[in-house]
Amino acid sequence: MFQLLISSAMVSLPSSSLLPLLLMSSSAWLLSPASAFDSDRHQLKPSGPVEPHFTKCISRDQTTFSCWWSPGSFHNLSDPGMLKVYYQKHLFIPPSSSPSKTEWNECPQYFHSRRECFFDKNHTVIWTPYCLQLLSRDNITYFNTDDCFTVENIVRPDPPVSLNWTCLNVSPSGLNFDVLVMWKPPPSADVSMGWMNIVYEVQYRERNSSNWEALEVQLEPQTQQTIYGLDLDKEYEVHIRCRMKAFTKFGDFSETIFIKMSEIPAKDSFSLLTLVIVLAIVAAAILIMWIVVSQQQRLMVILLPPVPAPKIKGVDPELLKKGKLDELNFILGNGDLIGGPMYSPDFYQDEPWVEFIEVDVKDSDTGEKEDLQALDTERLLSGSQPARHRAGCSNFPSFPDCERAYNLNVPNEDASATLTCMLPGQTNDRLSSHSINSERGERLPVSSQSSAPQTWVNTDFYAQVSNVMPFGSVVLSPGQQLRTQDCAPASNDDVKEAKKYSKENNKQKDPQLQLQMLEPDTGSRTQQMIPPSYCFVPPECYQPNEPQAAAEAFQSPYVSPDSPQTQCFSPVADYTVVQDSQRGVLLDPPSLQSASSCLSQHPLKVVPTTGYVTPDLQGVLSP
Amino acid sequence: MQGKHTSVWVLLAGLTLGCGPSDVAPAPLCGKAPARCRVLSLANLFDRVIQHSARMRAISEDLHWEFERHHAPSGNSIGRVSRNCHTSNFLTPNGKETAQRMAHEELTRVILKLLAAWRDPLWHFHQITANHSSDQALDMVQELGKGVQKVAEKMQTLGLLSNSVGEASWMEDLLGRENGEWRLMKEHELLYCFRRDSDKIQNYLKILKCRIVPEHSC
Repeated sequence: MFQLLISSAMVSLPSSSLLPLLLMSSSAWLLSPASAFDSDRHQLKPSGPVEPHFTKCISRDQTTFSCWWSPGSFHNLSDPGMLKVYYQKHLFIPPSSSPSKTEWNECPQYFHSRRECFFDKNHTVIWTPYCLQLLSRDNITYFNTDDCFTVENIVRPDPPVSLNWTCLNVSPSGLNFDVLVMWKPPPSADVSMGWMNIVYEVQYRERNSSNWEALEVQLEPQTQQTIYGLDLDKEYEVHIRCRMKAFTKFGDFSETIFIKMSEIPAKDSFSLLTLVIVLAIVAAAILIMWIVVSQQQRLMVILLPPVPAPKIKGVDPELLKKGKLDELNFILGNGDLIGGPMYSPDFYQDEPWVEFIEVDVKDSDTGEKEDLQALDTERLLSGSQPARHRAGCSNFPSFPDCERAYNLNVPNEDASATLTCMLPGQTNDRLSSHSINSERGERLPVSSQSSAPQTWVNTDFYAQVSNVMPFGSVVLSPGQQLRTQDCAPASNDDVKEAKKYSKENNKQKDPQLQLQMLEPDTGSRTQQMIPPSYCFVPPECYQPNEPQAAAEAFQSPYVSPDSPQTQCFSPVADYTVVQDSQRGVLLDPPSLQSASSCLSQHPLKVVPTTGYVTPDLQGVLSP
Repeated sequence: MQGKHTSVWVLLAGLTLGCGPSDVAPAPLCGKAPARCRVLSLANLFDRVIQHSARMRAISEDLHWEFERHHAPSGNSIGRVSRNCHTSNFLTPNGKETAQRMAHEELTRVILKLLAAWRDPLWHFHQITANHSSDQALDMVQELGKGVQKVAEKMQTLGLLSNSVGEASWMEDLLGRENGEWRLMKEHELLYCFRRDSDKIQNYLKILKCRIVPEHSC
């Protein structure tokens, strides 16, 4: 019972407190030959003559084992050779169900100096009970049934080797530090194959302390362990022991290593250097960001240079794409967009670097016919300089009236019923400017429209271009005059006609070329002399078409306003010169010597005099 | 009855142990390169089985300790073993070198026999004591039996075993060990023997693994 209590105490208490108990019990164990081989149970028997007995039997590698004996209080048997060791193995030979014991064999190898009996691997079997006894010369056997054991139960591994430690980290307060202790398993234990499954126990203490602090025994074999919370200014010593995982007996302790943290000046400098580097990087980053932000515009231009694209101020760039000529012509013809950003959605508000083509038609109230005519001609004949803003006007910088002449307010927002009122001179200007600018091939002629009813100035609407000079100037022949009439809301179709331009690249070959016209209803291409009737001018003759007709007219750029309402036509130019070009066709406006005959019965043939003809449509127009 | 149980268990083993412990990923991993895949899976199987055996060893230690504590034995436990363990007449290697010299299939057969021999006694013991540890021990023995069975089959497909130690051996041992010797043993003897045999099985498996799946540490 008492031994049971002790054994239970052995198991439940932590190993640190087991040590004194073990010492006590071992001493008690010496008194009685109670077996301590198999377990840590010890008996405390009353003192008396102690007969020779075995003190311990230990296996270090589970392949061999040794037993040590003691003569006890029989000192006459202490001489070597007085006592002999015999062992017996309990072999179980079938079919007997009782353990059959072998004969008693003598110890295979004696170490009398140590009173040790060593069993080498040839004499060692595992999982087999051994019983040992001592035999004196007098043939007295000293045998205790408790001295039977199996080898695996007496395994106490050697201590681990190659202990060393490293500092893991130091606490932020600088008072404590953590240490990682590393070691190697005992060389005698065959841990690699797994023959022995060894777990370790690490103990440490302060240098001058007497109590060892034991860390918990590992659950799985590991050859390193961390000790936390050591004081920086103290010195520690550490030793390790191990045991078989499935058993309870620890081996001896290893050698002691000392842990002492030296001064750590390098850490401060290291942190200082890190701080400096970090600050430098942050400063550089801020500088780069400031540069980027301040030079944003320039960087944008450098990194993302603007792509030149056909852009007409006030015109949706979508319309300038191929295939959308109808809408463009409508816009140009109606003039609801041209004239200024204030009246039209400015599509390029965010692109200040875009070069615009702005053509403003000045108010019809201003200027006189002759002045304008002369003005225009001179303009046409003079050189040209590019300007950023008003392309149409840029060619004639010498004329201060340029701005005025080309400024036309278009307060009209209604696309369906746009007023159109163009002065012949202005048309000429546009045309000429276009013809001159066509060589640059960059800008589209944009017509401005006037929305307000204006009185027609008795000026030529068109001028026949007699010749185009090599350097781009256009020689105009004097056009005809038109009646001054009140502008009434003209049909959209007519407006569209008037607003069509074509680009001219080549020289004018024949001033009188035949125009090819498209009839909207038939769609056929017929070449005929364009009647001189030009229906742009006399607005009173025109009555506004219905939007549907206008819509129909938009289908093709060459719509002839087949409006039954048209009753009379003002004289228009005789013909329109078609200039073939690679990029389009420039249709010269017809001369204005037309008879003022109402050609109501005639569908007004389209005079795509000033319309932009795309190259694909040019095939239609080719003479 | 037991044959039915066995077939069901083996089927389950095929489904669980075959797929689970062998590969991290399911079957498609082994689709393309069977040879490379099999070597990997055998090592993993061995690791899993050895873990199982360690667990069983710990449970046997707990069982024995619990019994010793409650039944207040006196003296050495070895001295009280008056009977032979019912598995003692198996020709089991009793040393490291003996086990290393044994052939693969023989060693595997020994392991399987040991595991098969403990199924009934532990079941009986569980009926008596009906505590958690005995239930665990019973489960462990069965699981380990299936695991070793899988290992044996894998080794056989790899050609490492000369003769079959597959399912037939398992069944044979199960049916053949109906001698009931274990019924004559006392409980403490049973637990002592079970603890010893668990230790044997664990060591045998480790030796077998080191020989079959050579590692740098062996």
